[in-house]
Amino acid sequence: MTREELYERLNNVFREVFDDDEITVNDATTSADIEDWDSLEHINLVSAVEQEFGIKFTMGQVVTMKNVGEMADIILADSRK
Amino acid sequence: MNITSFAFLCFYAVVLFLYYLIPKKAQWMLLLAASVLYFLTAGKLWLIAYPAASVTAVFIGALCIEKTKEPVKRKRVLSFVVLFCLALLIVLKYCNFGAYTYNALAERIPFLPGSLPELHFLVPLGISFYTLALLGYLFDVYYEISGAQHNFLKFALFGFYFPVVISGPIIRYRDVEGQLFEGHKFDYKQVTFGLQRICWGFFKKLVIAERMAVIVNTVYGDYASYPGTYILIATICFAFQLYADFSGGMDIVIGISETFGIRIAENFSTPFFSRSMQEFWRRWHITLGGWLKDYLFYPLQRTRRFGDLQAALKKRFGKKAGKKMTAYAAMFVLWFAVGMWHGGSWKYIVGSGILHWCYIVLGEIGQPLWEKLYAVFRVKKDGRIFGIFQQIRTFLLVCSGFLFFRSAGFFTACDMYRKMFGTWNPQVLWNGALLRLGLDPIEFVIAVVSLLLLLVVSVLQQKNSVRELLAGKNIVFRWIALYALLFYVILLGYYGPGYSAAEFIYQGF
Repeated sequence: MTREELYERLNNVFREVFDDDEITVNDATTSADIEDWDSLEHINLVSAVEQEFGIKFTMGQVVTMKNVGEMADIILADSRK
Repeated sequence: MNITSFAFLCFYAVVLFLYYLIPKKAQWMLLLAASVLYFLTAGKLWLIAYPAASVTAVFIGALCIEKTKEPVKRKRVLSFVVLFCLALLIVLKYCNFGAYTYNALAERIPFLPGSLPELHFLVPLGISFYTLALLGYLFDVYYEISGAQHNFLKFALFGFYFPVVISGPIIRYRDVEGQLFEGHKFDYKQVTFGLQRICWGFFKKLVIAERMAVIVNTVYGDYASYPGTYILIATICFAFQLYADFSGGMDIVIGISETFGIRIAENFSTPFFSRSMQEFWRRWHITLGGWLKDYLFYPLQRTRRFGDLQAALKKRFGKKAGKKMTAYAAMFVLWFAVGMWHGGSWKYIVGSGILHWCYIVLGEIGQPLWEKLYAVFRVKKDGRIFGIFQQIRTFLLVCSGFLFFRSAGFFTACDMYRKMFGTWNPQVLWNGALLRLGLDPIEFVIAVVSLLLLLVVSVLQQKNSVRELLAGKNIVFRWIALYALLFYVILLGYYGPGYSAAEFIYQGF
């Protein structure tokens, strides 16, 4: 899976979770950039991403991910295993 | 040794002097010795055994977790150490929660017999703060966010670090690891900035909080004689007292740490400018909220039980509502924990916990209704006036919880609400009655002017660092401003009758 393909799927997940078709994420996107991305929605987003890519983030990753770029790195690293 | 006492200032001055005199390699050892000494002088000598036991248990537990790769064993060690530390906390701090609850009910319900005896233990300094800091480290090692510290003495410094054990902030090992143990050379700017911050903390604490306390104590001590608007005013004064007291304490401890070259997490970010309850909790006691979010709220939502609950709710109420309802259930546990952390009493559980949960959930559920009201009243949601309305609304909602927090107990708070809404006496705002609440006119003016100064600085802080702003001014202006603040604190610090060198409200936690 290329990074572009990954972002295409990630965008769909974000749009679905936050119910907003205008959302487009990139490496630098953080919770501050998306209005509804608060601590209430964070776990829902993480679960939706896990479901989409068939992976499981560790609690450490859930707590320390600072932006979407880090999320993408983890997904890509996992897909190469 | 209270941190506003002369003895503490002498102790701190000696430590700071020695810190930059000794070799850099030995600085962390000096801080450890000073921290242990601080604990030993804080109460009975043997009370240090409690934090020592927690530090030792967490140190060994983290090493075991790091060494073991087997998930079941890792989890077993984690559970054992967490239970051990929480057991100490619960026995020492919450042992009377059941007895208090039962006795309060027995007083009001005729068929409940007798009353339960209450136990009284001596509690070590800052137990709620150091327990959470230590457990945060243990979870980080378990989640493989950070490695375990292999040097017991270095780890002991993290557990005992004297500026933060008093009243927080709740530090994270991964944030301070490098700074605590590396050498620091004397940095004039860093040390002076730290001292300025300490001075600002004293201003908040001694000039503002102590004056607010006079009004608050008068009304809360005899609320039957001061009903209606008096209670409203006293509760607003308590909000300022608590903020000035707690954030002032933070300014002092963060400033002290800064003079050692160790930057620790901020605990406040002008919280009374918040436009919603959610925002308020992102700006008030930030490190407690962050800790509970990372180590309770997220893990709880990731449990199988919550997964099953969400699946069932989605099936029953639809996808969107099911997700929200599961989050609200997890939030209830979170807010209950926030309330409990403040003390084993229903006044804290309601006033600092469940009431806030209700406001947030009602705010979310009622969103469609609010939107309709905004449309009916043609509210400009991005306008300045609406922003100010939101800030005032949030402040008053927070105050409604503070009334429980400050009252003698849950039922007293309910009675105070009855007295507040049952008496209509707005005339006390202009007939001079407020000047008969313990502060004479001069003291009253000092309090108001000081609050205005705090407001101006808080507004400036939202844009820039005030200390950086001051540092950019010419030397004459800078020194006049700094000396003015220093003498303002020395001359106008409230040393009223019964003054006890400021027992910080949060120090009790």
